[in-house]
Amino acid sequence: MSVSASPPLPAAAAPPPGRTRRGLRNGSLFLPAAVLLAAFFLAPLAVMVVRAFTDPQTGLQNFSWFFGDAVQVDVLIRTFRTALIVTVVCALLAYPYAYLMTVVGPLGLAVLTLLVLVPFWTSLMVRTFAWVILLQDTGVVNDVLGFFGLGPVQLIRTTTGVVIGMSQILLPFMVMPLYAVMRGIDRRLLQASSGLGAKPLTTFVKVWLPLSLPGLAAGALMVFISSLGFYVTPALLGSPDTALVSQQIFTQVNGLLEWGRGGAMGVIVLVMTLVLLAVSAGALRLLGGQRPEGRA
Amino acid sequence: MSRLPSTIRRRLGLAALAAGALALGGCAGQGPPPNIDLGAGPARAGTVKPDALKDVAMTFTSYGGAFQTGQMQGIVKPFGKLSGARILEDGPTEYAKIRAQVEADFVTWDVVDTDAVWSDGQCGKLLMPLDYSIIDASKVPEGQATRCSVPAMNYATVLTYDKTKFGGRTPQGWKDFYDVQRFPGKRAMFGGAGDAAPGDLEGALIADGVAPEDLYPLDVDRALRKLDTIRKHLVFWETGARSQQMLESGEVVMATVWSGRAYAAVKNGAKFEPVWNQFVPRREALVVPKGVRSPKASMALINYYLGREQQEKLTELTSYSPIHVDARPKVDRLLQSYVTTTPERQRQAIKVDSAWWAENQPAVIEKFTAWLAG
Repeated sequence: MSVSASPPLPAAAAPPPGRTRRGLRNGSLFLPAAVLLAAFFLAPLAVMVVRAFTDPQTGLQNFSWFFGDAVQVDVLIRTFRTALIVTVVCALLAYPYAYLMTVVGPLGLAVLTLLVLVPFWTSLMVRTFAWVILLQDTGVVNDVLGFFGLGPVQLIRTTTGVVIGMSQILLPFMVMPLYAVMRGIDRRLLQASSGLGAKPLTTFVKVWLPLSLPGLAAGALMVFISSLGFYVTPALLGSPDTALVSQQIFTQVNGLLEWGRGGAMGVIVLVMTLVLLAVSAGALRLLGGQRPEGRA
Repeated sequence: MSRLPSTIRRRLGLAALAAGALALGGCAGQGPPPNIDLGAGPARAGTVKPDALKDVAMTFTSYGGAFQTGQMQGIVKPFGKLSGARILEDGPTEYAKIRAQVEADFVTWDVVDTDAVWSDGQCGKLLMPLDYSIIDASKVPEGQATRCSVPAMNYATVLTYDKTKFGGRTPQGWKDFYDVQRFPGKRAMFGGAGDAAPGDLEGALIADGVAPEDLYPLDVDRALRKLDTIRKHLVFWETGARSQQMLESGEVVMATVWSGRAYAAVKNGAKFEPVWNQFVPRREALVVPKGVRSPKASMALINYYLGREQQEKLTELTSYSPIHVDARPKVDRLLQSYVTTTPERQRQAIKVDSAWWAENQPAVIEKFTAWLAG
């Protein structure tokens, strides 16, 4: 049995006869989005990059300022670390949840979907303040812990508090792609696996996990990248010494009107993210490529 | 404050917005400023010639929340009705947006509420000088009407403490904020990104033995060293709402907060009490960005804002202190005690050197932000 392919995606379907014409039509459908992206994403991005090298003078002063400032570098490392932790936490929570969504009946599915989406439709600000009230020293969580003779635990103003809040807010971005991919996995493969004598764990590791990997990768990407730009949640649930790079950029752009420095910080985060993505995409491909080979 | 994770991208996009606005300005065209006749005779605060601004649309920008609602209801909308100007509002104030508008020469904010330290620092750069032939600032508290700004309101950074926590002992001033032996427990102070203002640094230096009259030039490093001595007892608030919530939840035993937030918390049942001894007076300012379409209209709105009746109404609606020396807002006793502009309160205030702050604020922000993040 071979489990080399990812779940069939529409794009992977056999090319229809009138391929070129369709491609053209698809191309023109893409045009409005392309124009929008160019005007409201690419152009501002270009301005930001130019600013980073030219404001207030042409040169690398904004970058040398950043890397010469230990605090800035610390915060940058902290940002990537926090994003990584949030991604792992989201994956651990979302994976079994998404699996559950694929095995329950229609009513169960509706309930589980709503449970993910209702918070998603609620304002980020509201949810963050709700977490403040839950996590603060005199908050609900500590009251409950106190009732059982535990705690109090310091949750707010710690990285733990920030990770809890961010994970809850970003969870839908992990659950949804995971669910979409898991739903498409052919169950008969699992039966075949156990029919061939594999234990449940083996079936999971060798069949289910690889097949769900694209969903996990997509979810992880979205959560990780969103985490890097989080502003309100770390500001309210954390303390200044858990501040992330977005807060530092805000200081430069809005507090000090140092747009060159702010731009440079944006460029640094962008470049680091792209490098990380390229590396992890490469690693994933390597992983995906190795597996069938090992089998062959 | 911002809502979305994409906030940062948006903020960085401001620069592009400026460029876009420039392009738009080219084709949409603002046209020549309308001819405005504000009438003859000397300006009188709180008045405007009826229907003088009939063809004018104006945008008033402030910090949002209950305060801006009060400004709109109590002053700006009535001004629109009387003058005939079509009134729009926007917010919250963001300095980056002012810079973007001014640099693009496409200014859509006609009058903006900003912090007074910032506005003094930006006078002649992003902000234009006010026209005191249109604005009557004769009843503004002394020293508060400057070349580029008049006060929007007064308030204070004030030390508050939980009455129930110290067994009858009462903190008397800044020294006690640092006395974790006699007054144990967590203390809160401002610690948001991108700002530093008169208040906690002055308090730290006074607690460290500096006489109030010798505070300036501020020894920021010394103040931060003093703050270091209680760092592990400190928690930080980023927004006014958060500081109020800290008082109401009883998370902290002492806090330096804005007087309006202290009042709101106490009114909501927080067991806190302010220490007015050596409080730090603060003000917000009204400013006009350079390149605004019809400066006269902006000046007329500011002149109307400074009227006695308007100021009384503003305090009644928002709890912040009026900036007209004869204003006697009808408020209850609790709120009256939070009015920082009365002669009695003014005697308790320390004297802030606005000029020093205007000149040094960027450097202080850098030091303070680094201290916070470290």
